[in-house]
Amino acid sequence: MFFKLISRNSKRSRKENGLFFATLLVSIVAFYVILSLSHQDVMIFLAQMESDAVNRLLKMIPMFYGATLFILFFLVYFASRFQLERRRHEFGVYLMMGMSRFRLFFMLLAEDLRSSIAALLTGLPVAILVSELTSLITARLVGLGIIGHRISISVSALVWTAAGFLLIKLLAFLILSGKIVRQEIGSMLTDTPEGTKKPLPVAVYVIALLLGAGFLAGAYWMAINGMAWNELGKMGLTIILGLAGTILLFYGLRVVMGFLAGRSSRKNKLQVFTFRQLEENIIRRTTTVAVSSLLILAALCCFGAGVAIAQFYGESEQHVLDYTFTDEANPSAIKDTVKEQKVDELFSDLFEMKIGYIRINDDYFQMDSVEEELEKQPDSEDKEVLLNNLSYGTDPHLISLSGYNHLLEIAGLPRIELKDKEAAVYMDAEFTNDARSKLMNQILAKNPQVELVGEKYHLTGTVQSMGVVVDRSITLSFALILQDEEFEYFTKGDYSIYLNGVLDSGQTEGKSLLTAISDTNKKLNQTGLVYESYLQNIGRQLFYVVAASYITIYLAVVFLIIANTVIGVQFLTVQQKTSRRYKTLIRLGASYQILCRCAAKQIRWYFGIPTVVAAVSSIFGVRALFTGLLSSRTSDNISTMMIISAAMILLLCVVECIYIAAVKASSNRYLLTLMVPEREE
Amino acid sequence: MKNILEIESLCKYYGKSSNQTKALDGVTFQVMPGEFLGIMGSSGSGKSTLLNCIATVIKPTSGKIVMQGKEIHSLKGSQLTDYRGKMIGYLFQNFELLDNLTGRENILLPLSLHNVSAEESDRRMKQLASYLEITDVLGKFPSQMSGGQKQRIAAARALILNPGIILADEPTGALDSKNARALMEKLSGLNEEQNATILMVTHDTNAASYCKRILFIQDGVIFHELRRNMPEESQQMFYERILSVMAQLGGGSANVL
Repeated sequence: MFFKLISRNSKRSRKENGLFFATLLVSIVAFYVILSLSHQDVMIFLAQMESDAVNRLLKMIPMFYGATLFILFFLVYFASRFQLERRRHEFGVYLMMGMSRFRLFFMLLAEDLRSSIAALLTGLPVAILVSELTSLITARLVGLGIIGHRISISVSALVWTAAGFLLIKLLAFLILSGKIVRQEIGSMLTDTPEGTKKPLPVAVYVIALLLGAGFLAGAYWMAINGMAWNELGKMGLTIILGLAGTILLFYGLRVVMGFLAGRSSRKNKLQVFTFRQLEENIIRRTTTVAVSSLLILAALCCFGAGVAIAQFYGESEQHVLDYTFTDEANPSAIKDTVKEQKVDELFSDLFEMKIGYIRINDDYFQMDSVEEELEKQPDSEDKEVLLNNLSYGTDPHLISLSGYNHLLEIAGLPRIELKDKEAAVYMDAEFTNDARSKLMNQILAKNPQVELVGEKYHLTGTVQSMGVVVDRSITLSFALILQDEEFEYFTKGDYSIYLNGVLDSGQTEGKSLLTAISDTNKKLNQTGLVYESYLQNIGRQLFYVVAASYITIYLAVVFLIIANTVIGVQFLTVQQKTSRRYKTLIRLGASYQILCRCAAKQIRWYFGIPTVVAAVSSIFGVRALFTGLLSSRTSDNISTMMIISAAMILLLCVVECIYIAAVKASSNRYLLTLMVPEREE
Repeated sequence: MKNILEIESLCKYYGKSSNQTKALDGVTFQVMPGEFLGIMGSSGSGKSTLLNCIATVIKPTSGKIVMQGKEIHSLKGSQLTDYRGKMIGYLFQNFELLDNLTGRENILLPLSLHNVSAEESDRRMKQLASYLEITDVLGKFPSQMSGGQKQRIAAARALILNPGIILADEPTGALDSKNARALMEKLSGLNEEQNATILMVTHDTNAASYCKRILFIQDGVIFHELRRNMPEESQQMFYERILSVMAQLGGGSANVL
């Protein structure tokens, strides 16, 4: 009988409180996803290329696991409290019937264990599915669809997920049941409706509202203009201002709610009641609502920053070259060495890229005319950056024309034609952007005269920025492309030779490009040649993209879910605690539909207020993050920002709609139970 | 004069035939407009069930309840909610004020539920507030009021829509004797001056002595009726008559059992 009761109760709990059960499932999925990170296709692939960085990231996983454990503990604790609170009366009855407290405790423990196991049995397959899906999607998104997917279930992740989940569940249960079982039977049997707090004068709330808005504005100002990022103390101040501002703002919102309640219209039934309920909820739970709002803000910022970082590192240049060979000791012999090793058969094209310095005099190069022209342009950040970069251009790199033209040919771009005493300007993509190139091109169109070791030269053409070698870490901020003879003259034959190669189509046929490069690498490793491949570069880039976006988006989802669950559970708890009010309304003639509409309105507002505050804050928050984390290189990318914001808002809307619908359904079910009268004596 | 409320052979049975509790077993009575009717009985006698049946909170097993010519059994949906709000005003033992609404908002709550114009009810509210002496506490929340004030706010709420009949369920149950008397005086005043019809369920002999007629109910049936002889019988005399019936009620059968 006892065990039957346990099984019935735990089944009923799952049925009655879907939101709570869903929370448990989400926790399980969150644990597994973070723990199985090392089994993700992208990570497996990256581990071969960038093992150091990957290992460093994987070493951080326990930290993330710990943090997730910590955050989700509160979520489970909060949701369980709601779950147990609503059964207080039932527990009182058990005790009245002579059930010992220990037995009650044991019964609750068994119920809890049962529901935990049910959650694990449902959650783990879902978690594996989610993890596999993420693996596939990230592989497709970043790996150009080139990685063969393998289903990989991480046993250790499964074990740790189960262990972590059971641990937080047990801990939350022990604390809560300890509290509830120790209560007096009398207090369990009677509902203790919460009394209303005496309201303070309106001025207090107005001041709180204004102060809150002021604090928030201060915090954002400090974060956006970069002050907060200079030192730890200022960062701390910014955070404190932000936290205090949010809490004060919500506290002060009572004024707005009171005003809305007072502005009652006859058209909206129960308008006064609706807003009084909201007013009370928001006041009494100011901190919870503020924290939920901050969590949503954190989620939005994480999401925004993650996408932005991914976007920034993921901005790929045109892929032309597959390999670059070098020979430090004897640069000019590299081509022969490659031929000797018979690896040249692997390539459809092998050509030399010659890069050097001016070596004939001390008085190298000056381009005052260009700088003067630039000064005349309207002020802009790009102009400042260019001027700054050019001021270091007194000792430019030189690139030989034939090599560069070869590169352009392979890329399918027009060759550069240079006459005598003409030079083209090269600036790596790392140091320029569309706006800066446009600015430079305007000046180059006028063929400005420059001085190269005492000789008059004219700059011509447009700014070139195609990667000259495979290795993306080799970048040239400012270089001149010269005809081969002039190049030989100025460098005095002392320059570096990079042998660039493009893989033969026979090598890549039937395989993904990355597999082909992996295979070629294996062959090349046997020859002892020094080389750099596209794979290593893409690997490095991928790593940043994956690591940054994966972790931040993961955190964003966790935060968002926690915040929403807290808000939802909070609403339902309050609704149950104030059930008498709803009963009175029914007695006064409120129909089920009116009550549902009233509750739905409360739910929309209750979710809406923290979400809107968070959304508004996120506009500043994401900008602040950009200021702090990313250099000015992305700051000009307004369209990207817009896309990110739109994606964020869309995600937020979807999540909010799901939660609002779930809470509404739960609230409607509860209201229906109130419609059935109880016998009261 | 036409009856405002007619109850005919009202029955409410709980449970299956083998193990049936007859909370109401064929109750029949009428209420005239302007009457102040009390219903007395011990716990479990069926008086609350009777009131709940009239308030449409529970459905009777059989019998008829006719309110102002309409059988309430046939009411559905919006008619039913209108009935609850407009035809009857309910006064609870525990006031049942919404504690997050001010006194004024509590009183006006039925209006927002039943789409009644504000101006008209505003006048009525002011009138009620001054009569019930609650004008000062209209802006306060229930937690800032005394029990008596709360119950008078609740009374104003029950009366705001000018219902055909006021159903009062032990309205003095949660009040001390002073506040109980004040409330009863107001209710009886409303009955006499404004001709309000009141149906009150009570345990309290003192409160019952304000009624014009009292029905005694036991085990689901009406077994006695008292009528105050107006104007020659004083309230004190009526009180003593009620007491003697109560004594019989207790002494006659309960002592033997």
